[in-house]
Amino acid sequence: MNAPVTGPRGNAAAAPKVPQDAALLEVSGLRVHFPFSRGSLLKPEHGVVRAVDGVSFRLREGETLGLVGESGCGKSTTARGIINLVKPTAGSVKLAGREMVGLREARMRPLRRQIQMVFQDPFASLNPRMTVGKIIGEPLAIHRLAAGRERKLEILRLMELVGLNPRFLNRYPHEFSGGQRQRIGIARALAVNPKVILCDEPVSALDVSIQAQVINLMMDLQQKLGVAYLFIAHDLGVVRHIAHRVGVMYLGRIVELAPARQLYNDPKHPYTQALLSAVPVPDPSAQEHRQRIILRGAVPTPDREYPGCAFAARCPIAEPRCQQVVPVLADKPHAAACLVNDPDAS
Amino acid sequence: MNQPVLNVENLQVSFRTDDGLVRAVRGVSFDIQAGETVGLVGESGSGKSVTNLAIMGLVPKPPGVVEGGHAWYGEQDLLAMSHAQLGRIRGHKIAMIFQDPMTALNPLMTIGQQLTEVTRRHLGINQKEANRQAIEMLDLVGISGAAKRLRSYPHEFSGGMRQRVMIAMALSCEPDILIADEPTTAPDVTIQAQILDLLRDLQQRRGTSIIMITHDLGVVANICHRVMVMYAGRIVEKADAVPLFQEPRHPYSEGLLASIPRWDQDDSELLQAIPGQPPDLAHLHPGCSFQPRCPYAEARCREEDPGLLPIADAEQRLAACWFDIRQRQGQWQTVGGEENVE
Repeated sequence: MNAPVTGPRGNAAAAPKVPQDAALLEVSGLRVHFPFSRGSLLKPEHGVVRAVDGVSFRLREGETLGLVGESGCGKSTTARGIINLVKPTAGSVKLAGREMVGLREARMRPLRRQIQMVFQDPFASLNPRMTVGKIIGEPLAIHRLAAGRERKLEILRLMELVGLNPRFLNRYPHEFSGGQRQRIGIARALAVNPKVILCDEPVSALDVSIQAQVINLMMDLQQKLGVAYLFIAHDLGVVRHIAHRVGVMYLGRIVELAPARQLYNDPKHPYTQALLSAVPVPDPSAQEHRQRIILRGAVPTPDREYPGCAFAARCPIAEPRCQQVVPVLADKPHAAACLVNDPDAS
Repeated sequence: MNQPVLNVENLQVSFRTDDGLVRAVRGVSFDIQAGETVGLVGESGSGKSVTNLAIMGLVPKPPGVVEGGHAWYGEQDLLAMSHAQLGRIRGHKIAMIFQDPMTALNPLMTIGQQLTEVTRRHLGINQKEANRQAIEMLDLVGISGAAKRLRSYPHEFSGGMRQRVMIAMALSCEPDILIADEPTTAPDVTIQAQILDLLRDLQQRRGTSIIMITHDLGVVANICHRVMVMYAGRIVEKADAVPLFQEPRHPYSEGLLASIPRWDQDDSELLQAIPGQPPDLAHLHPGCSFQPRCPYAEARCREEDPGLLPIADAEQRLAACWFDIRQRQGQWQTVGGEENVE
């Protein structure tokens, strides 16, 4: 693979602005479990849904880490756990070396300024009764960063930065299209000048032509501001395009983590291989030459603990030991939590 | 060419709104042959779903008005039929599957009741025979333990399974035409792949014609023989699937294909976004409706709408553009770009 690197996206290692070791956000052993009760009043059943079950990764300054996986794999809950929108059951989240899990609200606030979130649904995540100016300016008010004329100038600057015409300052969200609303959401997230933005399916509600506009905007902003993204999406094409590194989640865990190009060209985990083989390619002639890996059975439920590898029951290459030993994700550039394909997984 | 199973001629559908008359479908014509899969591709508001709702007589009136056109199913015009006549064809000869199976299935009825209701009504068979056939259909769409599952309610199935139940229901009367409106949008990729396999397999076995309505060009490349690209209520390009993907001949098709991030290719540059946004269908300007977003547009495009024109060097290919866009490529803007609001 000696193709010339055409931009900073080509290869994370080649990107000049990304330092190798400095972890801006360090998540280790993050668990988010939801207790539940079901069954009848007389015969109740109690259990725990292990939505996120031991997720670890590092996000570097100015880097984009993609998280992919099918619905229910825990990718959104991971993001929510990081900023305490749901309380982590266990694990640690460090921002620039400072632990965030277990902090009281007052201590959390200055740290939370550094991490912002952009949501999937630009129709539901903006207050319909607030003008665009109010929406973008609210974080500035909450964190007491700017007031009066200064705040207004800052709002106008942010609008310009995300490609919104400053003339629309006093309009309401319903007057904007989906793509523009997502721009508003991004401007609001950027208002407090964060180091990290957690993006939960930020473009999946948008039409393709508009989606491309927003992806380009996000890449452009990263270049200008050096902000890091945790980019959660189910669209593998979008993630490949925007992410330097990609993690694949299955049943609450990251099963493979690698630089984007390696992950897509040389997937090591059998689940990643099956997932990639199932995505249709927008090219009928390329489509003909593809081999599908068909997985047996349905995705198992996260409401119980599995003795070995949680994927073993559906895995085409599982060995007897996979039923007993839980594979680990090694700390190396391209790691797969697979006993068969990664020697460092046991 | 054989007699098409369905021939839609100059379909026009509008909606009366506070903002004026929204012209959702503006003269759409196409046909579909037996055993063929035709893709109707476009973004939100392109008119692809309304086209099919109109064919099925399901446009809500008011505010909807079918202002003109025909939909020939054999000798009969579906658009001129009474409710009762259409009711005998709908779900029987022409069936539909929807994006969200949860809203299309009745949560208070068992899967068995819903499956047999259709066949008893349209095929006039008794409950016992209908049950037997329902089990056969569930088997066919790959639901195991079908006899037992007949007593299950929709909420007891996963998303992919519900989609299969809906496909079983749609196919239970052996329709000539299956209209699939974004059938793979909700489920995950692995389930999506299974559903496409299932549709392809059923088509080969039964010769059903499929109209696939989708915004996902990957799905189109996967299953469609022919493709119609819709924009602002019109078909702007008609072509066989392979040549369309190889060489789009309308600027919108070209822009659409270029704006998809590909997971199977190393493309590290910015995406080719189409600048701006679709026009307001209540206040259309004369001329080509894609012109405000088109990188090739000239004065003529602002005044005259080209309509679908044959392409000189490609048989059976039509594009609604004055130009041969192959001579004009490389003019797309690739920045995030400001969107304009009127």
